[in-house]
Amino acid sequence: MHEFSIALEIVDTLQKNEYLEGVKSVDEIKLNIGKYSGVDKNYLIFAFQNLDDERFKDVLLNFISNDGDEITIQEILVD
Amino acid sequence: MLNSSRRRVGRSLSIQRNALETNEAIANKNKRLFGKAFVINFLSSPGSGKTSLLESIVPILKSDGFKPAVIEGDVETDLDKKRIDELDIPAYQIVTNGTCHLDAKMVNGALNNLNRKDADIIFIENVGNLVCPTSFNLGEDIKAVVLSVTEGDDKPLKYPAAFYKSKVMIINKIDLLPFLDSSITKIKENALSVNKDLAIFETFCKKNEKAGNIENNGLSDFISFMENNINSKVSK
Ligand SMILES: Nc1nc2c(ncn2[C@@H]2O[C@H](COP(=O)(O)OP(=O)(O)OP(=O)(O)O)[C@@H](O)[C@H]2O)c(=O)[nH]1
Ligand SMILES: [Mg+2]
Repeated sequence: MHEFSIALEIVDTLQKNEYLEGVKSVDEIKLNIGKYSGVDKNYLIFAFQNLDDERFKDVLLNFISNDGDEITIQEILVD
Repeated sequence: MLNSSRRRVGRSLSIQRNALETNEAIANKNKRLFGKAFVINFLSSPGSGKTSLLESIVPILKSDGFKPAVIEGDVETDLDKKRIDELDIPAYQIVTNGTCHLDAKMVNGALNNLNRKDADIIFIENVGNLVCPTSFNLGEDIKAVVLSVTEGDDKPLKYPAAFYKSKVMIINKIDLLPFLDSSITKIKENALSVNKDLAIFETFCKKNEKAGNIENNGLSDFISFMENNINSKVSK
């Protein structure tokens, strides 16, 4: 189940680009997930539920689908 | 996990970034480290014949004057690397300890250990799994998906990502077709419906086939494909 690795990559991308500075919680992540990305959305939700990171404990994943193979982070809602 | 009906009061931040950009950055480093070597990332379910293909292909590439090297990826054991060691070429085994795919960081670690100075073609045998490895760019030139006829002709439709992302599909174990209901025509039709640009090769590679006897096992076309790619990358 590579969705755990993808969840960690998403956190890493947000962290490295300083989107999590001073953030207490991430309430929502809007993700664009390609039909050919090889990602199972339910497993990705499960992965976030089980991340060892308090900031993501109540996060809602909001998916937009596309016909390609990329996974992009569109927007986040933070407190 | 929150219910979507909960009223949200937080700040909204527009991101618009590749979710896997950390992996992508390391994959780009790998690409630079690969240099002039042509790199193929083999994807397939367990047992479709990735290592067997390497055992058949490598001696021919060597006798044609090319210098292959192999990075093996497995969840457990270095059994595949031991098979490659028999071919007397540089090889390195990544053991993922349970992880179902290779990522760019693992391959970067392998590149620090693989004696690849002279290699003009590097094969990466990914973990046997038709889904998970597809999400991670390793810095390779192409992905090649191997599908054995014993897996059934519906697999390109059921696991489309591997076929969508690959440049090449190798249909292996065609020697077993007389014993199966699988249809090569159907496999090709299904794969091309996912990716119309796939280059397709039909092969078999039984252990006791004499090395170099590639007239009737379909490997010669795939070998020409690789040799052309090696030469065109070197001359760039
Ligand atoms: N009949 C027949 N058997 C094959 C062929 N290719 C591979 N095999 C057999 O299939 C089995 C699996 O082959 P491997 O080369 O180990 O497959 P693999 O994809 O490397 O497997 P993993 O690394 O475990 O994912 C072995 O018993 C091979 O001898 C083929 O073309 N025809
Ligand atoms: Mg193998």
